[in-house]
Amino acid sequence: MDISKNKDAMVILIAVLWLACIVLGTIGYHVLAMCLGVVLMLLHALLGVAHNDVVNKKFLVYPLLIWAGLWIASFLLSGYYGDLFAGQMPSFTVLGLHPSFAPTVFFYWIGGQLTLNLGLYLYADKWLSEEQWEQFLDKVKSLKEVE
Amino acid sequence: MPQSTIILIVIFSGLMIAVSFLIGLWSQKKADSAQAYFGATAMFGPVAVGLSSMAGIASAFALVGVPGIIYATGNTMTFWMLSGGAFALAYLILGKRVRAMAEVAPISSLGDIIDIRFNNNRLIKAFASIIITLGCVGYLAAQISAGSALIAHLLGWKPIVAGLIIFGILTIYTVLSGEVGGILTQAFQGFIMVVAGVVMIAAFFIITGGFGNVLEAVAAAPEVIGSNGVTKAMSPDMLGAWGLMPGGIALTWMLIPILGAVGQPQILVRLYAVKNPRDLPKAGIVTAITHTIVGFLAVCVGYGALYLVATGAIEPLASGDQAIYAFADYVGIFAQLLVYAAVLAAAMSSASMFLTTSSTLLSKDLPSALGINISPKNQVSVSRVFMFVLGIASIVVSIYSTEMVALLGTFGWGTLVSGTFPVFILGLLWERTTEKGALFGVTFSLIMNIVPFFGFKYPSALPAYFITTALAVAITVFVSLLTKKEPVSAKLDAVMKL
Repeated sequence: MDISKNKDAMVILIAVLWLACIVLGTIGYHVLAMCLGVVLMLLHALLGVAHNDVVNKKFLVYPLLIWAGLWIASFLLSGYYGDLFAGQMPSFTVLGLHPSFAPTVFFYWIGGQLTLNLGLYLYADKWLSEEQWEQFLDKVKSLKEVE
Repeated sequence: MPQSTIILIVIFSGLMIAVSFLIGLWSQKKADSAQAYFGATAMFGPVAVGLSSMAGIASAFALVGVPGIIYATGNTMTFWMLSGGAFALAYLILGKRVRAMAEVAPISSLGDIIDIRFNNNRLIKAFASIIITLGCVGYLAAQISAGSALIAHLLGWKPIVAGLIIFGILTIYTVLSGEVGGILTQAFQGFIMVVAGVVMIAAFFIITGGFGNVLEAVAAAPEVIGSNGVTKAMSPDMLGAWGLMPGGIALTWMLIPILGAVGQPQILVRLYAVKNPRDLPKAGIVTAITHTIVGFLAVCVGYGALYLVATGAIEPLASGDQAIYAFADYVGIFAQLLVYAAVLAAAMSSASMFLTTSSTLLSKDLPSALGINISPKNQVSVSRVFMFVLGIASIVVSIYSTEMVALLGTFGWGTLVSGTFPVFILGLLWERTTEKGALFGVTFSLIMNIVPFFGFKYPSALPAYFITTALAVAITVFVSLLTKKEPVSAKLDAVMKL
């Protein structure tokens, strides 16, 4: 995915999302703000992983989009069950966890590890291949020689 | 606590300090150049980088303060502690670019990166250095205060004596070995924290029988009145996702630690310490495993203390900060040995990290931003003297001035995020970030980190650092768009396209 023509728009969206998060957090819409926060992080990740302004499509799907989806689902489920069982003992648990906390453990924490950490490890070449690094070193070397 | 237990804890913690000192001493021979001393640039593999990054991030607050907050207010804080994915996110956002910077110029500090990215702009470098130093010194003071108080309380010593012995040793080995010794000792201290984590997590499950029993116990004991005069109120809502804190705090404690991790010096400076950037995904696995254990330790201990109080096994705690010690005392001598050593290791690893970073900023980056240039040959000697003075001064001030510790304590993670995002994160992700944009962003951040001391408050219940970061980013972006596009050098372009 080529982001070269959309970079300015992505960074403007980053600024807008930061502002949206503080406004929504201030007026009590923290679940929505957390979901927008995931989009904010995803935009940073896209800018970071791009090589020559191109994001590898496989890397975009896994880990990035699956991670973002898991986290948004986590916050929405926590919001739903948090409201449902507010002020009372929940009628069920998930492996002993409060139903609103279980998504935090399984999607946010473990899901985050299995996407971000494991995905970066498994698809390290799509983030930075040996060839890309060597090409970069050669380019820097030639630029230094010109100087 | 029995005298024999105290003696064993002191011996075990003393051994940890002695091994740290020996590692630092041994590392001295590796710190043979300015780049090695200040940045350990391109010197380490994924295990050392991953473990030391985790140890630098997991401060004494993570082991003592976090369980206390969970004990007091429930799960809100778990968003912060279950944030192991933050390291990988930081690596994939900025890892290859920061490391690539070390190939285009002799990078040994954050100021060197600012020089290359913003064409030696002195104001950006000076303001960024001041903000990062405020954050680092704040952290440093808090670690010294916590570590000294722990040992002083245990042995009945004066805090200044405990502080001078523990952190004096730390200052000496850090002065001798710089960032090289810093990384290796932090990796060792991180290992101690992980071992303690494994034991305490196992103890939590053995004692409580699991999370379900904690939830039931907390729900069955809405109020526990102790014979010590302390009353503890509990509710199932504590163990829901949001805990008892306002939702805005859950938002802050999710977004700022996860995205903000990339703006922490503990991670930023490690990005150029790695030998090969392709090792960073492996470092991500190391941080994933170790931070998972240490983060879960903090959660389990908070839950464990709640369970023990709810079931009447221990008295309600007078202060949440006692949670980890109360739980370790209940588990027994083996847990006590590890927990006290782990808390000390957490304090020492973060302290050495912030001592090297702040002294490098103050003795190298800030003087050069002010036009005072020290030759590379003399730079290490000057910085060694400066680091020693800063280390000793920090110990004395941290222990004798509780007001100063409280003041500095307000600078920390959030301050560092607000100061680094306009310069490093936007600067390295977006070619369009101009000098004026970064300067406006970092100046705003510096001002807004200081004005709260003169009574200023944002009209929001969110923490000020969150709002300052958001506004600083927005200012940097919009000022950059409104100012003339600046050409990027061929080498910098190669870095930003990598």
